Amino acid sequence: MTKELEHKFISEFQENQNIIHKVCRIYTNNQEAHNDLFQEITIQLWKAYPKFRGESKLSTWMYRIGLNTAITLYRKSKRSIKTQDFDSVLHRIKSTDYDDTEEEQLKLMYKAIHQLSDIDKALIFLYLEDKNYKEISATIGISEVNARVKMNRIKTRLRTILNP
Amino acid sequence: MDELELLKKDWKKQGDSFQKLSYNEIYKMIHKKSSSIVKWIFIICIAEFLFWGFANLLIPDSFFEIYEKLHLKTILQTTQVLHYIVVVIFIYLFYKNYNAICVIDSTSLLMKKIIKTRKTVNYYVYYNIIVTAILSIVVNIIMFSDEALLNEVLNPENKIIDHDKFFNIMLISQVVALIVMIGLLWLYYKLIYGILLRKLNKNYKELESLEI
Repeated sequence: MTKELEHKFISEFQENQNIIHKVCRIYTNNQEAHNDLFQEITIQLWKAYPKFRGESKLSTWMYRIGLNTAITLYRKSKRSIKTQDFDSVLHRIKSTDYDDTEEEQLKLMYKAIHQLSDIDKALIFLYLEDKNYKEISATIGISEVNARVKMNRIKTRLRTILNP
Repeated sequence: MDELELLKKDWKKQGDSFQKLSYNEIYKMIHKKSSSIVKWIFIICIAEFLFWGFANLLIPDSFFEIYEKLHLKTILQTTQVLHYIVVVIFIYLFYKNYNAICVIDSTSLLMKKIIKTRKTVNYYVYYNIIVTAILSIVVNIIMFSDEALLNEVLNPENKIIDHDKFFNIMLISQVVALIVMIGLLWLYYKLIYGILLRKLNKNYKELESLEI
């Protein structure tokens, strides 16, 4: 692979890296695991990059590979030692609209999401990213109707986790 | 659901909270080795092809002499030629399925393709086990149906032995060998599926159950 391609990839990836951070955010709950998954997704993106022709948006392409890696390809490496769980929203404490109960609610929400199955996490992720059901169904590979049904089940499940 | 809406609001704000990776850090990352399951499946499959391919070579020559005495040499040679043709077909199928794996497919299609690739190699292993079993059954039937021949093959020096005892020992040792072999294979597949494919199978089943 040529140097130019490598340079192009790194620049584009650097600009859009938040997408992958967000995928890692849903699928992992500590910094070490986050970094590990991030790395595997980056490698997979780079391996697939020469075939990326720009038919779809770069972000859509990244969503797919990111989720596929998290759900299917990724194997936890031996390196990931259990570290302290993320204190999910603590790093935004400075924000102006800081609200104690909101923060507590968000923390519980992330905790609940981490209890979902890998597939459910993907649906929640796409939902949070404002994807419509057509896109969700195409990314996961299920029918639109089933995507809706599944999403409703996930919401119910989250509700049960949050209010047992 | 209020909490979910709250999360969505927060989700959009979080962009800046991630630790941004620099050009150099990404550069280093893409030069690291992947540890994806597709890579592991590939390595394991190649190892299985090689193992069963070379298993033939591990059979001692004396074994072939027995075949000769049993007038099975031609059959054996023919089956070996057929065997290599089948192996080539399997390798081709494996290569074809492996190449079809594509990370930008939808989640369910990607899983389907990985499972299909793995299945090709499973069939290859089943095929080997079945061929080995059939061959040993044929050899056993021919041997045990002709006592004089059996004696000649397994007791060439014509030592005086108790026939019943001899038969029993032969049978028991074959059964024990069979059980040990099956046990090892079972353990091997438990390990492969347990470590590598448990997550994949679980997720695939979840998607499949949705589509029914």
